Amino acid sequence: MKAPASLPDQHSFSSRLRSAAISARVGTALAVCFGLAFLTGLVSHYAQNPTQPVPFPTSPAWGYRFTQGLHVISGTAAVPLLLVKLWTVYPLLLARPSMRLKRLVVELAERLSILVLVGSALFLLVTGLQNISHWYPWAFSFRSTHYAMAWIAIGSLVLHVAVKLPLVRHALSHDVEDTELDRPGATEPGPLSRRGLLRATWLATGAVVLATAGSTVPFLRRVSVLAVRSGEGPQGVPINKTAEDAGVTDAARDPGWRLEVVNDTRSVSLSREELLALPQHSEELPIACVEGWSASGTWSGVRLRDLLDLVEAPSDAEVVLTSLQESGPFRVTLLQSGFVEDDRTLVALGLSGEELVLDHGFPARLIAPNRPGVLQTKWLARIEVRA
Amino acid sequence: MSPARFFLGGVGALVLAYGGWLLWSRREPADVLDAAVWAGGAVLLHDVVLSVALLVLGLVVAGLVPRVARGPVVAGAVVLGSLTLVAVPVLGGFGRETDPTNETLLDRDYTAGWLVLAGIVVAVVLVWSLLRARRDHHQPHSGDTPT
Repeated sequence: MKAPASLPDQHSFSSRLRSAAISARVGTALAVCFGLAFLTGLVSHYAQNPTQPVPFPTSPAWGYRFTQGLHVISGTAAVPLLLVKLWTVYPLLLARPSMRLKRLVVELAERLSILVLVGSALFLLVTGLQNISHWYPWAFSFRSTHYAMAWIAIGSLVLHVAVKLPLVRHALSHDVEDTELDRPGATEPGPLSRRGLLRATWLATGAVVLATAGSTVPFLRRVSVLAVRSGEGPQGVPINKTAEDAGVTDAARDPGWRLEVVNDTRSVSLSREELLALPQHSEELPIACVEGWSASGTWSGVRLRDLLDLVEAPSDAEVVLTSLQESGPFRVTLLQSGFVEDDRTLVALGLSGEELVLDHGFPARLIAPNRPGVLQTKWLARIEVRA
Repeated sequence: MSPARFFLGGVGALVLAYGGWLLWSRREPADVLDAAVWAGGAVLLHDVVLSVALLVLGLVVAGLVPRVARGPVVAGAVVLGSLTLVAVPVLGGFGRETDPTNETLLDRDYTAGWLVLAGIVVAVVLVWSLLRARRDHHQPHSGDTPT
């Protein structure tokens, strides 16, 4: 440490653990996590888009369950990686600016790009972890803001890699204890060796994954003591929104409930008994939430295509599904023709061999393969072929 | 700078700009400001509060923990610190107020879970430190610092 009278700068940090040899290694793992989260995030965003120039595939049925589980797992894994990475480069934050104008401009530009990278990366991890626990202490829309920030983060990450590439190459091609890239004066041995700190970092990353991934990986349920969900729920499946919180309890229990199926001027109106009298099918399909949790269920009910045949809907039809909910962003959803035509897409009336419970969407809900949970409309009121 | 690096940097800057445009064009200015406050606040929280707390923690470890146990204690702190930060939303249970009737959300005893994890980390740190102390006792010339 310098004399207390002077402000700390990069030379105030003497530990040899705060080294580019560690930053490059942890940074590479971090880039992999952010890359995975970005790609899986794009998949999820696209799956929720009403207009899809390339139709979102309906197979494999567990595809969205896999990509969205991976999205949340890789984001969670990035938390210890980002913290250790920032710890190793922290002295550079306090580096004195250059006194030469040209050099200063370059330094400021790089600092600005790193501020954007760190700010957007922390934003994604913090809001992501809050969102999966349904904690929304902000005014902005989560989905569109998280999405825009992801582009900002991945863009500034690519820029950062381009700037640091020779340094990263050097660090990765030399031993982790190599001192060539170290700041002058950063020679004091730490409590751990560099290898030791790296091992502790990988261990912390594994620990946060094991402690949370049970929300979507069934065999980890018992060890994931910090997971947002235990995976339990009525009829063996967790719930995203209850009938009471959605305000549909009375409408859903109304004995006069009918499902309207409409194609232009043709329409039918079916009670639950009439739906149950139609040919019944059973499918094992996952509910996979955007929040990363998922669970598989055995659903029974009427094929959506069979219902549409009653109103002579054409084979490439897209349908608009309306819920009994009076408000909410997912009250009305669009089901693209690929899902409409898939034989596994059901208007479900039962789950796990029992009558569907109210919180799972009684009297009838949609269940389709490879589709985000928020679009698996519960408490169906109307199915209409889009003109 | 090689052309390939220059190209890569250019792609990064374009993608970044696209993200900025997405943020700005799809939302109200108040929303953008709120998002910027969250991103900037997170940076400040890290750069000022967390980083300084870690510096103080380092001094405490250096002052109070016997040399032989410092490595295990620091490794344990990296693991338990990460677990604790990731657990803040579930330990606080803030999301329960959003969906008060949902019994399948935040449906574990997180305090007990965290205590078990902390217990495991503390136990491993203790056993590891004792083993190191015993090894150093038998081989007084092998230090715990890296060579």
